Amino acid sequence: MKMKKLVALLTATVMTVGMLSGCGSSTGDTETAADTTTATTEAATETESKTEAGTAEGTGFTYDENLAGVEISFLNSKGEIQTAIEDMAAAFEEETGIKVDILACGTGEVPYTKITSAYNSGTAPTMAMLDTTDIVALAEEYATDLSDEEWLAECSDFVTAVNEKVYSFPFCIEGRGLIYNKAAIEDTLGTTFDPSTINSYDALSALLADLRAAGMENPVVISKEDWSLGAHQLGFIYDTYDGTTAGATEVMSKLKDGSLQAEDYERYNEFVDTLDLLLSYNINGKDPLGALYEQDPIFLADGDSAIWANGCWAWANIAESGAESTDEYGFLPFVLGNDTTDFANTAIQAAASKQVMIDKVQASEEEVAAAKTFLNWLVYAEEGQKMLVEDAAIIPACTNNTNAPLDPLGKDIQSKMASGDTFSSSFIAPSDHWSVMGAAMQKYIAGQSSKEELAKELDKYWQSQEK
Amino acid sequence: MGTMGRKPVERFKNLCIFALPGIFIFCTVVIIPFIYGFYLTLTDWDGVKKVKAIVGLKNYMAAFQDINFWASMGLTLKYVLFSVLLVNIIAFILAYALTNGLKGQNFFRTGFFTPNLIGGVVLGFIWQFVFSRVLVNFGEASGWGIFSTSWLSDPTKAFWALVIVTVWQLSGYMMLIYIAGFTGLSTDVMEAASIDGATGMQRMKHIIIPLMVPSFVICLFLTLSRAFMVYDVNLTLTGGEPYGTTRLVAMHVYEKAFTARNYGVGQAEALFLFIIVACISGAQIYLGKKKEVEA
Repeated sequence: MKMKKLVALLTATVMTVGMLSGCGSSTGDTETAADTTTATTEAATETESKTEAGTAEGTGFTYDENLAGVEISFLNSKGEIQTAIEDMAAAFEEETGIKVDILACGTGEVPYTKITSAYNSGTAPTMAMLDTTDIVALAEEYATDLSDEEWLAECSDFVTAVNEKVYSFPFCIEGRGLIYNKAAIEDTLGTTFDPSTINSYDALSALLADLRAAGMENPVVISKEDWSLGAHQLGFIYDTYDGTTAGATEVMSKLKDGSLQAEDYERYNEFVDTLDLLLSYNINGKDPLGALYEQDPIFLADGDSAIWANGCWAWANIAESGAESTDEYGFLPFVLGNDTTDFANTAIQAAASKQVMIDKVQASEEEVAAAKTFLNWLVYAEEGQKMLVEDAAIIPACTNNTNAPLDPLGKDIQSKMASGDTFSSSFIAPSDHWSVMGAAMQKYIAGQSSKEELAKELDKYWQSQEK
Repeated sequence: MGTMGRKPVERFKNLCIFALPGIFIFCTVVIIPFIYGFYLTLTDWDGVKKVKAIVGLKNYMAAFQDINFWASMGLTLKYVLFSVLLVNIIAFILAYALTNGLKGQNFFRTGFFTPNLIGGVVLGFIWQFVFSRVLVNFGEASGWGIFSTSWLSDPTKAFWALVIVTVWQLSGYMMLIYIAGFTGLSTDVMEAASIDGATGMQRMKHIIIPLMVPSFVICLFLTLSRAFMVYDVNLTLTGGEPYGTTRLVAMHVYEKAFTARNYGVGQAEALFLFIIVACISGAQIYLGKKKEVEA
């Protein structure tokens, strides 16, 4: 009988321990530990062979060899480059001996939610790639001050300062406007198409009318996604205030304190006019909210339409829909009004959209140094520059990176940046702006609300923000 | 073994072995987060700040004044009403049909139960495809106006799409519980009723339904709580669209806490939701239990 009890007791204990350890994922830890050991050994040999150099020849990238074997982590919130950035981490480790563990932010996971729970559970990643809004929210409390980093000189146009200090590295440039398919336009019209002629509302209106007359019934694709409508399309009214982020912030504060009403704001009126124009040629026009994001790029690539209001990140979708990187795609400005000298009509918006911050709360000094080294590698090392552009298909913010993007949209943005035909405003709105205003925009494109009602929604949203 | 649990020491030991792990887990994943959540409703936390300033009952006031929250709550009540009714009626009919010795009834039981094995997220995506593609193509081919545009782009139809998917998912599960109820019915009573000359409808009304009350209580409770808390299907099927008209209350709370980064108000709204669900489920069980009869 004693025996039986003992067995019962043992079983219960084992089960309890089992349940508890279930939460700790002990197996994972063991694996990582094993990985580290091998990594360190490899790294050690690697460093020995390079003891003299310390600098990869001629690239301006230097690193501290004592950091070999340090293990840091990087939260990647651009799902589409996960494999590319893992490869980059491997190449970086080979060169410096620093292991960078790339953490994926799964589809449907909100990066900000992920980073908050990581901080609350004490497992914050050393580096986190986040949207500018999130960086601003976290910067002063959690991010390492990067104001003295050398790379600031290479990308001064694109850094975001919080109270005059820089807390993040601009990871990539993204631009948005009206994507056009040149071949589709030229085949339909039978003439050559010069995108620079589209520099006013009237010019766009004439182009669309011509396309329709020449047989392309609905030359425009408007996606119904709330992030697209609420952040990227409506966002033009802030970004074009004066083309700078500071200007966008200024107009937002005016909307907040009520000194500016949407209906009195010229950009708002111009924006709605252009939107109305686009909507009247919308290929999803029969059921604007029945649009499917997988179908939208197919319209563009197949030439059923010629213009899609979106940004350079959409290249992946366009390529999936059958476009080749040798095809001619590019950006038209989201034209506003008829002033052909207005920057909103001659330039497209391009700004740093993802920023990398380095944790200062939970990371050790060594880890912070290793993370800074990784950023330097991205900026200065030849291999880092090349992989960033070619493998990850990123448009780099740093001007010293001369690799040309492989995809036409990236190329277009880069050449426009070089010729000064971009404006770098990247409005920073409260985190629910895209969701709340996205819903209001959906209501508008579905024809369920008027221009005045949309303006009221906009005023209501801003005035309900805490000042 | 006969002496087990007699002596206080023994009893304490048994308590430790058998009850403690459960209590421990219940505390860590339910009680403590609940209390912590309540604490958060009193603060102005945004989810990441280190300092949590106490703001008193301000968040509750904000939750009370949040029109969208109460609109979501109203929509959820409507959704719960329709899905609970439809799920239980359909499940009951299915169970009745599949306990009468129909040929291949085990196959049908499995078939109707299967949707419940598919996770809500996947299910939402599958049905999104059905509503926005399959039915639209069908509508274009057949010329049926009702399917000519996506159901998910119209507020009313999108609401019914949610109800349909929920019914499809849950009725198989409830059917199983009702089948268990039916097979548990005493044949003596049924036979006696037949001999007394009760017709089919009379038997259903006076014998079967009263004896099935325990099954109804369980099924109603399960459907009520699941329908109130639904999030996954809502997220993947409609995502709250079109223009936020199908945002059920759980999704609204999530948006408030995580998208608008307003944990305090989000938590306060979650607490309101908890109180409402607890009251309704409690009342339902209490009333249901009173109606239970013994054969």
